[in-house]
Amino acid sequence: MAPKTNGIGIQVEDMRICVVMVGLPARGKSYIAQKAQRYLKWLSIPAKTFNVGNYRRNDAPQPSADFFDTNNAEGERKRRAAAEAAVADMLQWFKNGGVVGILDATNSTKERRKWVIDILEKKAIDVIFVESKCDDEDLIMANIRDVKTTSPDYKGQDPEEAAQDFRNRIRNYEKVYKSINADGDEDDLTYLKIMNVGKQVIINRIRDYLQSRIVYYLMNLHIRPRSVWLSRHGESMLNLEGRIGGDAGLSTRGEEYARKLPELVLESVGSDRPLTVWTSTLKRTIATARHLPKHYNQLQWKALDELDAGVCDGMTYQEIADMYPEDFQARDEDKYNYRYRGGESYRDVVIRLEPIIMELERSEDILIISHQAVIRCIYAYFMQKTQEESPWVPVPLHTLMKLTPRAYGTEVQTYKANIKAVSTWRGKGSTAKHEDPSPEGGV
Amino acid sequence: MDTLLTAEIAANAPRYRRKSSTFIDGIHDVSEDPSNMAPAQLYSTMSGRLFHSGRIAIVMVGLPARGKTHICVSMARYLQWLGVKTRIFHLGDYRRATVGEGGQVPQDYFYPNASPASVMLRQKILKKCREDIYGWLNHENGQVAIYDAVNPTASGRRSLAKEFAKHDVQTLFIESFVDDEEILKENARNVKISSPDVGFHGMDPDEAANRYLQRIQTKIPVFETMQEEELNYIKMINAGQAFFYNNVSFNYLSHRIVFYLTNLHIKSRTTFFVRAGTATEEDSYKADAPLSEAGKAYAVKMTETLIKHREQERQAVIDGGGRDLPLRPLSVWTSTRLRTIQTGEPLKEQGYKVRQRSQMSQINPGVCEKLSERAIRSLYSEEVEKHELDPYHHRYPRAESYHDLAVRLEPIILELEREQNDLLIIAHESVLRVLYAYLMHCSTRDIPKLKFPRDEIIEIIPAAYQNEAKRIHIPGLDPNMIPGSPEDIRIPVQSPVSGPLSPLVGPSSPEPGEIILSVRPPEKVINTAKEMVADKVADED
Repeated sequence: MAPKTNGIGIQVEDMRICVVMVGLPARGKSYIAQKAQRYLKWLSIPAKTFNVGNYRRNDAPQPSADFFDTNNAEGERKRRAAAEAAVADMLQWFKNGGVVGILDATNSTKERRKWVIDILEKKAIDVIFVESKCDDEDLIMANIRDVKTTSPDYKGQDPEEAAQDFRNRIRNYEKVYKSINADGDEDDLTYLKIMNVGKQVIINRIRDYLQSRIVYYLMNLHIRPRSVWLSRHGESMLNLEGRIGGDAGLSTRGEEYARKLPELVLESVGSDRPLTVWTSTLKRTIATARHLPKHYNQLQWKALDELDAGVCDGMTYQEIADMYPEDFQARDEDKYNYRYRGGESYRDVVIRLEPIIMELERSEDILIISHQAVIRCIYAYFMQKTQEESPWVPVPLHTLMKLTPRAYGTEVQTYKANIKAVSTWRGKGSTAKHEDPSPEGGV
Repeated sequence: MDTLLTAEIAANAPRYRRKSSTFIDGIHDVSEDPSNMAPAQLYSTMSGRLFHSGRIAIVMVGLPARGKTHICVSMARYLQWLGVKTRIFHLGDYRRATVGEGGQVPQDYFYPNASPASVMLRQKILKKCREDIYGWLNHENGQVAIYDAVNPTASGRRSLAKEFAKHDVQTLFIESFVDDEEILKENARNVKISSPDVGFHGMDPDEAANRYLQRIQTKIPVFETMQEEELNYIKMINAGQAFFYNNVSFNYLSHRIVFYLTNLHIKSRTTFFVRAGTATEEDSYKADAPLSEAGKAYAVKMTETLIKHREQERQAVIDGGGRDLPLRPLSVWTSTRLRTIQTGEPLKEQGYKVRQRSQMSQINPGVCEKLSERAIRSLYSEEVEKHELDPYHHRYPRAESYHDLAVRLEPIILELEREQNDLLIIAHESVLRVLYAYLMHCSTRDIPKLKFPRDEIIEIIPAAYQNEAKRIHIPGLDPNMIPGSPEDIRIPVQSPVSGPLSPLVGPSSPEPGEIILSVRPPEKVINTAKEMVADKVADED
């Protein structure tokens, strides 16, 4: 269990972690797994969820509750086979460079947990168990109605019957369920146990910074309904000239957008409940937020400033292509990692945005007014866009986006201000000028 | 008599201590300037309180030798860094002030069935300490008061929480619970019995540790670990091996504290700071130039000096009768800037693990790049004026302020706390200033002026009550590359009134004509003021 050292230093880069979910069905395990995966991938840490239920479904697409009875030998065998298949795939994935694998299953017995550890530790993979424990019957039934009755297991069935069947399925698990270290003989495991949606938490034997980061992130999650609104600043004077970066004021049309924004926000929020507004420290975002209602709290964050284009700041794409032709091409080949000379890459932007994401997770309704690259990165977090996709996502000017997190993903609504603006989007490998994004482009 | 007593308590209370200089860890000092913002403070509010968290009392729980002081001090360091106005109130300071120098509390002072006289004394001391806590929270815009005492009984803790609630103060208990014999003995050995005051001098260390632990048992016979369901508490078990977190009312700040505590450990290790070597294009930030020939020579000499120093330190421990332990492993962190990576090359070639951290890139000079001070003054005269008013928070157009830098360095700070190996940080002077300021608790007014001459390796050694700094001379360097910061951004900084500020005392660079080949012995600068150190090690709260 000791950190792997080579006598000179801890080999942080070689760390591989398996997050093993533990808990009865309908305790929000998949929600937690999905959030953790999204967060880690966004930080460029290769992460993947292996959902044992999906493997089992191949074998038993629509089982009834007795399938999950521990006395049902056939069911037991099939469920065991599903777990084995999921773990085998995960090991293969680790071999190909995976760093954090998430095993999403009930893992509700000591034997099953021991089985998982034995396999993973042989491969020098650290295991952290994340248990969600909940005794609140109302919360459980709410979760069942909300999520489980729409599960593929119950496709085409009456929701109320499905909910009852699911409740019975849980009872079969309850018969054998053993919370982590309930008997005091699992104390050497690394685990996070969240009880009754965070009322009590146990953290045991965290062994590295990445694990502590995952734990901190999971503790900041909340399940109160909320939305995040994203907008770029209004069209700027430099946008008109096709220049990137800089710190210019708004154009006439940009001003028009700033005046229209309060109306757009009100339409989207649907009431006059106040939002908290976060802008960058650059003139164009502050000016865009200027006309929002006085009772909205406004904060400026340096971390929300536009990607720093270094020597290319204030240039047009044509000028960049002329002066730094190799750089221009290199950026197209790997836009996410390309760091402008003396400036930043998208990867750098994501790292500096991390505290913002943590704040966002714990906050409620927030409106962010920022810049193209920064909005792309935040959008990528919520929509789980890959590094290949995220730097190319079109985020048009004069458009408000509303993101609402749901159990299995994020819902997006867009509100166009219908105020003309130049396009600031350029396709991969295209000529050095801004163009209109193709309609299937995204946002 | 009462007036006299109060004055005496006041004189000894931590709240009256003032910051003396940047080379002493300022964690226990009180800022004189209420408008002074903390290094990584994200925003300020009218009330001075952050994170919508209101006023909080963090109440420590635990017997002596459980590392409470270390936890208090580290937590205060982190919270103050974030801008949360935090102050520690050690009940022991008040007790000592009351019983006077050399005085003893009655034998039954901690007993549940103490005599009326002892109970009265106890309550007098408690009252004074709490009055100071309320004074801090209500009249000095304090947000977090850390109350460092044993707080051994559930009933005592319940009434404490009730009392704080009456004053509209939220209570968060942090218990340090240790049942691992090894950790207990280690704590007793390290912190307590090394002090001559305690009366174990010259005794076999294991025997002394046992005697000390027994003494605690006799003095404080009743201790109930926390189980109060209705209270907010964090129980830190066996120095961070496990945490139990009872969350009655959701609060961001307490999550943040748990996150910090999960990265804290109590093993002793040192941190070294060095500058990067000089580069071929010193003036340009954007060029990200490689090391010059002189820069490469510097990297080699720095590496030799560091390795030799570590070996000597180890030998000194063995010669002093210490155990012959192998050298702690050394990790090296650089930024992603070429000159820092290349400065780490000689260490990498010798097999040391070198990690690049993009957050550790130097401060961005924005429009000031390549401009002379005169040019900046004429081109941006208004900005210069603003800058001189607040060099820490002001940012030139397109530039980063020191505050921006501190915010971006926060993950590095947590990893720094977690790191168990000795650690060498190779970075630009601006980054060293901010990291040094965290470990030595410098004020934001001093941070932009801290100097890190190239001919010195700074070593920071952690201790429970405060950190210590040491500087190690790198001999044989070209005098041109030592002083100032040729690669620094030419942002005009008002020169401090009292001469250049080095984080450490003594000449920071050789005088002209001085023979630079001479080897200066490592210099250790610690604060030996009696009331600050000697008193603490015998502390039994």
